[in-house]
Amino acid sequence: MINSQLGLKLGANQLPYTVPIHPILVHFTLGLFITAIAFDLAGILFPLEKPILKFLALRVVREGFFHAGWYNLLAAAIVTFFTVALGLFEIMLANPLANVKSSWGLGVEQTMILHGVGGVLLLMAIVSMTVWRGFQRYYWRRDHPRQVQWSYLCVGILLLGVLYVHGTLGAQMGDEFGIHNTAANLLRQGKNPNLLLR
Amino acid sequence: MVFFSYSCDLVGYLTHNHQLLEVSWWNLFVSAIAIFLAVIFGQLEAGLANAYPAVKSVLNLHSITGWSLSAIIVAIAAWRFVIRLRDPLRIPPAYLGVATFLLVLVSFQTYLGTQLVWVYGLHIAPVVEAMHRGIL
Repeated sequence: MINSQLGLKLGANQLPYTVPIHPILVHFTLGLFITAIAFDLAGILFPLEKPILKFLALRVVREGFFHAGWYNLLAAAIVTFFTVALGLFEIMLANPLANVKSSWGLGVEQTMILHGVGGVLLLMAIVSMTVWRGFQRYYWRRDHPRQVQWSYLCVGILLLGVLYVHGTLGAQMGDEFGIHNTAANLLRQGKNPNLLLR
Repeated sequence: MVFFSYSCDLVGYLTHNHQLLEVSWWNLFVSAIAIFLAVIFGQLEAGLANAYPAVKSVLNLHSITGWSLSAIIVAIAAWRFVIRLRDPLRIPPAYLGVATFLLVLVSFQTYLGTQLVWVYGLHIAPVVEAMHRGIL
């Protein structure tokens, strides 16, 4: 086992700390990536929004949406390195029940492999998108009123779907298999969380 | 998004990059809307959760902080809106101070919510199953 090699002291949740960190970082990756695409979409559809924004008396410069789209994506790319690194560390320490099937009919091994490999691929995808977006912003479409290409936006929206599937696999690892969950692991050891977690 | 909005304001303040101030505003604007979805779903799922006695105090605190945060974020976003309206190229240090308080509160709320799921196991299949079997 990896923990005996590293000499880690693991708690009931099979981690050297009280709560898993990957699920927290995931919220940064998702929040930043989704809004990055949403802001770029808002920038592209700006002519349609104009009357609504005017009605709301919101002062909007079209460029502002593209700034937000770019910086949110850049931050998403940076934070996702940490999300994936912590995810790989915590998945190595997972010690789940082997005989359960998820609601998608997948076993725990399959789910873990798909989520692990998928995570690395998604990191590569997000970094590639950032490079693509950077070229549009600083070279190809520098003075273009519509800073992003439709093709970029379409790939982005497609990636949102991939992230949804990928995130659901990850959620199943926590919610259905109980990986790294203190109460679930205590129950497995025949202990009562209600008495121990007071 | 509150975190990112704050980071942008801070870096924008230090580097005089006014693009980042605009990014900060839009992130805070979206978060002021999104928090209501979070609170409504949180309340719904908290109501459905079979909270055993040890969980109750953390769950109550998470609920109170959540509702408070929705009001606080809207108030701070409104202030941020006025700041942007008056001068979109500058951010007053007083705002950064109050935003730091908001950041601490959001971190606290995240910690409580994380505990509910990962320590106490609310809505986690093996824990729910144990409750159905009367073990917990």
